[in-house]
Amino acid sequence: MAEYKLLTHAFGTKDLPTLGVYEKLGGYQGLREAISKFTPDELVAQVKQSGLRGRGGAGFPTGLKWSFLPKDVFPRYLCCNADESEPGCFKDRWLIDNNPHQLIEGVLIAAYALQVETAFIYIRGEYRDQRLLLERCIDEARSKGYLGRDILGSGWNCGIIVHGGAGAYICGEETALLDSLEGFRGQPRLKPPFPALKGLYGMPTVINNVETLSNLPHIVQRGAAWFAALGTEKSTGTRLFCCSGHIGRPGTYEMELGTPIAELLENHCGGIWKGRKLKAFQPGGGSMQVLLPEHLALPLDMDVIQQAGSALGAGAMVFMDETTCLVNVSMRLVDFYKHESCGKCTPCREGTYFESALMHRLEAGQLTLAELATLEDICDNMNGKCFCPLGDTATWFVMSAYRAFRDEFEAHCGAGTCPVAAAQVTALVPA
Amino acid sequence: MANKTTTPSSSEGLAEAEKVTVTIDGREVAVPRGSLVVDAASSLGIHIPIYCAHPKLDPVAVCRMCLVRVGKMPRLQPACATVVSDGMVVTTQSPEVAKVREGMLEFLLLNHPLDCPVCDRGGECDLQDFAVRYGPQTSRFPITQKSHAAKAVVLSDKIELDQERCILCWRCTRYYDEITGEKELVLVRRGIDTVIDSFNGEPLTSDFQGNLPEVCPVGALTHRQYRFQARPWDLQRTKGICPECSYGCNINIDARDFEIKRFASRDNPQVEDMWLCDRGRYSVEKWSHGSRVRHPLIRAGGEVREVGVDEAVAEAARQLGEVLRLHGGGAIGVIGSPMLTNEELWLLQRLARETLDCHNCDHQLDELGNVSADEHSLGIAEIEDCETVVVLGAEPEANTPVLTLRLHKAQLRRGVEVRRVEHDASPASLGIKGKRLVGVIADEVHRAYAADMADALASGNTLVKRLTVTRGVNGRGAKDMGMLPTQGPGYSRVTGGKDGRQILHAASAGAIKALLLVGAETVLRGAGILAEKALAKVDVIIAIEPRAGIVANAASVVIPGHTYFEKRGSVTNVEGRVQRVSPALPPATAAPQETRVLAMLAAALGATGWGTGDPFEVNTMLSQAIDAYRGAGNGGRALWKRQGEPR
Amino acid sequence: MFKEIIKGMAITLRYGLSRPITVQWPEEQKPATPRHRGRHILHRYYNGLEKCIGCELCAAACPVGCIYVGPAENDPLNPVSPGERYAKRYEINLMRCIFCGYCASACPTEAITLGPQCDFANYRRERTVLTKQELLEAWPKFERSRGDMNQRGAGADQRSTGKSLNPGPSPRLAWEAQADETHEAPLPGHGGIPVNVPGVIDPSEESRA
Repeated sequence: MAEYKLLTHAFGTKDLPTLGVYEKLGGYQGLREAISKFTPDELVAQVKQSGLRGRGGAGFPTGLKWSFLPKDVFPRYLCCNADESEPGCFKDRWLIDNNPHQLIEGVLIAAYALQVETAFIYIRGEYRDQRLLLERCIDEARSKGYLGRDILGSGWNCGIIVHGGAGAYICGEETALLDSLEGFRGQPRLKPPFPALKGLYGMPTVINNVETLSNLPHIVQRGAAWFAALGTEKSTGTRLFCCSGHIGRPGTYEMELGTPIAELLENHCGGIWKGRKLKAFQPGGGSMQVLLPEHLALPLDMDVIQQAGSALGAGAMVFMDETTCLVNVSMRLVDFYKHESCGKCTPCREGTYFESALMHRLEAGQLTLAELATLEDICDNMNGKCFCPLGDTATWFVMSAYRAFRDEFEAHCGAGTCPVAAAQVTALVPA
Repeated sequence: MANKTTTPSSSEGLAEAEKVTVTIDGREVAVPRGSLVVDAASSLGIHIPIYCAHPKLDPVAVCRMCLVRVGKMPRLQPACATVVSDGMVVTTQSPEVAKVREGMLEFLLLNHPLDCPVCDRGGECDLQDFAVRYGPQTSRFPITQKSHAAKAVVLSDKIELDQERCILCWRCTRYYDEITGEKELVLVRRGIDTVIDSFNGEPLTSDFQGNLPEVCPVGALTHRQYRFQARPWDLQRTKGICPECSYGCNINIDARDFEIKRFASRDNPQVEDMWLCDRGRYSVEKWSHGSRVRHPLIRAGGEVREVGVDEAVAEAARQLGEVLRLHGGGAIGVIGSPMLTNEELWLLQRLARETLDCHNCDHQLDELGNVSADEHSLGIAEIEDCETVVVLGAEPEANTPVLTLRLHKAQLRRGVEVRRVEHDASPASLGIKGKRLVGVIADEVHRAYAADMADALASGNTLVKRLTVTRGVNGRGAKDMGMLPTQGPGYSRVTGGKDGRQILHAASAGAIKALLLVGAETVLRGAGILAEKALAKVDVIIAIEPRAGIVANAASVVIPGHTYFEKRGSVTNVEGRVQRVSPALPPATAAPQETRVLAMLAAALGATGWGTGDPFEVNTMLSQAIDAYRGAGNGGRALWKRQGEPR
Repeated sequence: MFKEIIKGMAITLRYGLSRPITVQWPEEQKPATPRHRGRHILHRYYNGLEKCIGCELCAAACPVGCIYVGPAENDPLNPVSPGERYAKRYEINLMRCIFCGYCASACPTEAITLGPQCDFANYRRERTVLTKQELLEAWPKFERSRGDMNQRGAGADQRSTGKSLNPGPSPRLAWEAQADETHEAPLPGHGGIPVNVPGVIDPSEESRA
C-alpha cells in the first residue's frame, strides 16, 4: 500500500475547475450513473457496502449515517461541512481549489440518494476565494442542467446553496453548523435528537465532510466493491493527509488507508528536516493526542490509531522534531481552544480559561509541582463533561503530552527552565 | 352540583400515562414515561443541583452541574436533559459525581466576582447554596487573573444586570424565547467573554421583565425597585394574591419593617404558572404610602370628633335607622368595592338587603345588565385545552397581562389557535366551525359581543366557553356575592335596585338620603364631579374607609378600614377560583376588620344571627348560602351549572 | 499570736504606704486591653469613604438582633462607600448588645470593630440606640481621634497586641458638666461628650479649611 491518487488523480490539469475540462475527464458521469442505474435506496446500500467512513474527524460510517433518516419525512436537508478549521488541516480547501466540480457532483449524488431538494455547502468564512469559486461552478453546473429543476430528466429537483461562516471553529461541529446556518449563534445543540431526526429547521438532515462527498462519484463509477477493496477492512479507500511541521516537504498527500505512517513520512514528506530526529507527532490535527516515534510503524487506519490512544481525526499530520518544547506547543493549542470556545457549557468556557492561565504560567516557569497536579485535575474535570467534543479535545493534547513528556513539564516548574531550549543553547556553545 | 373540582391540566393528564421504573441510588421509583432523571430523583427526595434547568423551560444542559452516572453509558449524563427509560440505573451519590460537581462549581466560581455582601441575591442564591453543599472549599485560581465584565448594567427602568455574576445558564434568554416570545436578551461574544446583554443594547420593553430576576439562579439580574432594600432573612413572607387585577396570580408578599418590599411569584400552574406581569409585581410601592384613616370619627355640625369603634358604630346605626324610619330603604345607597373580600361583600349585601331593606347596592359604577356565571365558564388552564381561542379586543390582555403568557403557551406548546379580533368581529368572518372546544375571551364592557359570538359559534359538536375579565382584584367575587343591583348571592333573582352611577345621581338629586360606603374611595373617584356632588348633598354618609380622601372627608361617620394586605378573607378570580388572603402587614388601625364592623352595625340595627363577624365564620356562612362556594374551598373553582345542563 | 498581728499589720502598713491601685473612675480612665470589646466603631478608609457596605452580615450574625442596617444604593458620583451599596441607616441597640464581637468577625470589610469604651450609662433609653453618625469615625480627623493604628479595636486585626487602648475621657463627666449648664442631656458628640468620634465632617468643608 502506498500513495493512491483517487480524489487527486486529475489535479494539476489545466482549467480543471471549469465544467468543460471536468466533463472531458469523465466528470458528472457518476451523477448520470447514479440517477440512471440506481434508486435512492440502492445508492444508500452501495455507499454502505463501500465501507466509506466520514472524513471529518469522527470516522462514522457514511452509509449508516444516511440510513438513520426517518422514512417519508420531507423536506430533508444535506449539508456539506466545509468549515475546515482544525489546526494543521487544509485538505478541504485543496479539494475545492483544485476540483470543485468533484465536490458538487458528490453533493448531488448524496442529495439524490437521500432525496434532498436543497443541499447546503457551509464553507468557512475565511475561504472567500473558494466560496466564490464554488458559486461560479454551481452556476456552470446549473446552466448544463446538472442541478436545478428536473436534473438529467429524472424529475428530481435539487439546488445547492453555498453559505459562508463567520470564522468560528465551533461551527465545524455539526449541530453548531446547523445553528449558524439557520442564522443563530453558532453553538452546538443538545443531542438527542440527532440531526438525522431533527436537524436543519427541525427536519432530518445529513452532514458530511467535503472529502467524504468527493469520494462518492468514484464509488458510483467504479463500484462499491472496488472501493471496499482499497484500504483496510474497516477503513476503506484513501485519505488526504495534510502534513505539516518539521518535515522536508509539507503538503497534502493522498494515501491508501493502511499505509504505515513511516512511509508517508519518509517517502513522501521527505523525512524530518535538517536531519533531526522526530520527537512527537499528532496524527489528526490540533485536537488529537500526541504520538511518539515508536508509533511510526502503525498503519494509517482509523481503528489502529484509536487503539494507540489517538485518532486520525481530520487527517492533519503535524510532525515535531527534537527541538520542539511540548509545553510551548500545549500552551499554544490551549490558547486556541480558549479563543474558540463558544461559551455554551461551563467546563469548556471556564476550563479552557483556567487551563490557558496555568499553561502560560508553566511556560513562564511560575508553576509549582502542586499546580501541575491541578492542571491534570481540571483537565479531568473537563474531559468527557463538556457539552460537545470541543471542550474534551482541549484537554487531549495537553494530557497526552503531559503523560508522555512528564519530565519536560516538571522541569518547567519552579526553576523555569525549558530543557529543550537549554539543550539547543548548549548545542550552540562550542565545546 | 358544585363538587370539589379542579380543571385537569396537561401535567395531570400526563400523570395517568404509562409509568417506567428507574433505580436511583439503589432506590426504585415509578415515574411517567418521558420524565427527566432530575424529576425522578426529586420524587425520591434526592437532590441534584441544577442551574440551567428550569421546570417551565426546555432543557439545554449547559451548566453541567447535574451530571450523573446513567447505567453503562461511557460519559456522565446531564440529569436535566436525560429522559428516563425502563430499568435505567442512575447513580447520583458517588465520588465520581461528587468530584464533577466540585469541579463545575470551581469553574463557575472561577470568574465570579464573589461580591455576595453587596449582591441582592445573597442569602437566596443557588450558587451560594450549592457552593456550600457541593463545592470546593478553596479556589486554585489566582484572584488577580479573574476575567471581568460590566457591573450594574441598566437594562431598563425595572431590571439591572451584573454581567460578572452571570453563570450563563441561559434561563433568561430561554424565558424570552419560550415564555414571552419577545427575545429581548441575547448572548454576545464567545468563550470566556460571553455575556448576556439586551439585543443591540436597547432597553427592555417587555411587560414581563420582572420574571427575569426570578428565573436567574444567581444575582446577575436584579429588580431595580428592590435594589438594596433588604436581605432575604429580613423579610417576612406571606402567601397572597396579586392586588392589581382579577387574574388572581398567586404571590408571596415579602415585607420588612411593616413595609412591603417585593412580590414574588408562588407557582400555581392553574393560574399564573409562576409568571407575573410587571404591573402587578411592581405595584408594591403604592401599598406602603398614602395617608390612612387611623381612628373612628364622627363629623357633626362642622366638628370632627375622634371616638371609639363602639360609639362610631352606634352613631352610624342611629343615623341609618333614622333614614330608614323616615324615608324607607329606597332612600339608602350602598356602594362597595371590588377590592373587598368575598366575606365583606357578602355581609355588605346582606346588611343592605336584609337589615336596611335597600336594593340599591353595587360594587362599581356601570350598569352590568344580566350577569351570569356562564360568562366565566372557561378556566385559565383550560385555555390550553381549547382548539381555538377568540380574544375580543385588546382589553382582556391589557387588563390581565398574564393572560398573554397563557395564550402564548397554549399556542406554542399545545398548538391552540389564538385569534385576536375586534370587539364586533362577526363570527362568520372568523371561519371557526366544527371545533371541539372554543374559548371566547372578552372584557366586562364588551360582554354583549362575547355573548353574541358564543351563541353564534356554539353548534352541535362545538362547546363554547367564555371568560370575562372583570375589574379589580375581586370583581368576580363581587358578582358571585350578589353585590349587584339586579342579582343576589349566587346570581339569584332579587328585587332590582339602582346601580352605582344611579345611586350617585339619585343622591345628588336628593332622592337618596343616606350612603353606606365600604372601601368605595377608588370607585367614587372614578365618578369624578358626580361623586363630589353626591357626597356634598347627602347628610348621612357612613364610610368604612382605609385611606383618607374624598369619602373620609365627607362622611358623617368614618370607621377606619383595612387595606387589602391587612385583611383576612378570600377573593375570587376571573375563572372563579376562590383563594384565601391573609394579612401581610399589621393593620394601621386598632379598629377591627370590616366583617366585624359590619356585623356590629347589623347588630346595632337590631338584626340577629350575624355572629361575631370573624372572617372564617362568615366564610362558612356564605359557603352554606352559595352552593358553588361550598365546593370551592380554598384554591378550587366555584363552578355553576351551565345553562341547559342537567342538574 | 502577737507575731501574727504584727505580720497582718505589716501588710496593711505596706499597702498604706504604697501607691494606690484604685482609679478614680470616671475622672480617671483605666486603659483597656488591646482586644477589649467595648462600644462599636464604624471605620473609614483613608480616602474618607466608609468601609461599611451595608451588607447586613453583622445583623445576621448578631445573636441578640441588636443591629439594624438599612442599605441603599451609592450615587456613583458622590459615593458614601466603595462599590454599589452603602448603609443608609446603621443602628446598634446597646441595651441588647452582649459585646460578643460576632459582628466584627462577620464583617467582610473590617468596617465594624469593638472599641475600648465601656461606659454607656445614660438617662435616656433612646440614647442607648447608637446611630450611624455616632458610630462612625470622623473624617479626616479620625486618625488623630483614634490615635495609633493598633487601636482599631477587637476584631479588626487579630495580630494587634501589645499597646493598650485609651478609651478617652469619661462621657459621664462630660455629660454632667453639660447638664449643669443646660439642664438638659446633650446629644453624644455634642458639648464635649466624646464618642471617640465626633460627627461626620463633610470632606468638602475640610478641604476649604
